[in-house]
Amino acid sequence: MSLVKDYMIRTMNSVTPDDNIRKAIILMYRSEQSVLPVVDHQNQFVGTIYSNNILKNIIPESFGFLDSSRLFYEVNEAVENLKHVKDENVDKYMARNRDAVKENSDMKKIADIMLNNKESLLFVVNDQGYLRGFIERSNLLHYLLDEVENNYE
Amino acid sequence: MITTVTLNPSIDREYFVEKNEVMKNQFIYNEENLKVYPGGKGLISAINFKELGYGDVQNIGFVGGKQGLFFEKMVQEHNIISNYIHTEREIRNNVKIIGKEPATYTQYNDYTFEVEKEEVDELIIRFKRSISESECILISGSVPVGVDFDIYQRLIKIAKDKGKSVFLQASGEALKLALESEPDVVTPYFKHHKTILDMEMEEKKDYIKAGKKMQEMGAKRVMIPFHCDRILFDKNGDVYQLSPRGYCIINWLGAGDAYNTAYLDYAFKTDKFDFIEANLRGGAAALWIAENRAVYLKERKDYNGCSDRLEVTKLEV
Repeated sequence: MSLVKDYMIRTMNSVTPDDNIRKAIILMYRSEQSVLPVVDHQNQFVGTIYSNNILKNIIPESFGFLDSSRLFYEVNEAVENLKHVKDENVDKYMARNRDAVKENSDMKKIADIMLNNKESLLFVVNDQGYLRGFIERSNLLHYLLDEVENNYE
Repeated sequence: MITTVTLNPSIDREYFVEKNEVMKNQFIYNEENLKVYPGGKGLISAINFKELGYGDVQNIGFVGGKQGLFFEKMVQEHNIISNYIHTEREIRNNVKIIGKEPATYTQYNDYTFEVEKEEVDELIIRFKRSISESECILISGSVPVGVDFDIYQRLIKIAKDKGKSVFLQASGEALKLALESEPDVVTPYFKHHKTILDMEMEEKKDYIKAGKKMQEMGAKRVMIPFHCDRILFDKNGDVYQLSPRGYCIINWLGAGDAYNTAYLDYAFKTDKFDFIEANLRGGAAALWIAENRAVYLKERKDYNGCSDRLEVTKLEV
């Protein structure tokens, strides 16, 4: 049986609920991760902060449907909004109680969870709820390819 | 969870050539002659722990820029949990050129990595929350530009306040300041000058004086490299000399880190800690690395046999 820990990415890149959004954004672009885990002060997983969610909050009206004639206005408004949002806590923008998977979970379950929740990435915790890393669709595809090549060829 | 700390990581590249000559182009076609790996004392020990079968091992420190991301990927390939503060500046690249005939070793050491104050503050915050699962912290290696020399002192104090044991390998001012936070085990290393606590190390008595001084300043146990030997200072005041016999050194890289790993591996596994035994394990692991081209340990049985060639003498001080 293949386990999540065989395919996951092991990293503690994370923010806490009382970190500010500026810090989350900096970590996102430097680590090239647009989704970050939120942990408490003991490193236990408590939620998720999405870059998408930050963007939605700074471009309030028509995110995703930007009219080219309004683009300049929208961007300026986003910059103006970010001036305020960047100092606010992650706590305000994070998603709580997101599904994290256990590192000893069967990889077969991951496909279900990812596809049913439309998640491209799931955070991985140990049995005590401490953060261990993440697993994303490319890791799932890696596992599936291994299954094909090990079992059917 | 085992935690190791590497503040000044590097991407190390080793080029093996027939003859290293100035103003001559070299061409490397065989991948055996080109090695690229993540460097940093704490990290090498982390990889050793993983090789010895430990479950969760994390490496905490800084990585910077695109090369930092490459470094992080290489670390993750070893199944180490990367726990890095991503800095604005790129991390270091060290280049080593090893000539076969005649045997030469040319090293270009990069000390350009620089860290901002805000990034240091972030490291402290991350360190505090990341050690909750660890009983022992191994802090090892140099400190990048931009980081104050009291960094190890601060990290050790955080760990000690949380009831953790600390193994420190450091040099210079960072070592001197760190002693105030009373690390459990200290092993100094020599970087550019052969000094410890600003004292020149020439004769054995200088090393003994330095070891005793480190204990006075806060270290519980000390091990000082003395040529190919080690002078060991137990916490009850006893001093020993560990010496290898009948050896042939072909590689220094990773020997000290193997020593630290095997010492701690013994400490983790035993209920009845014996300082001499811990150092015999450490010495055996270092000897195995030194006599092989390997940088990392593989299995305990590889190096345990080397302990037959180690001798421990009690010194009268």
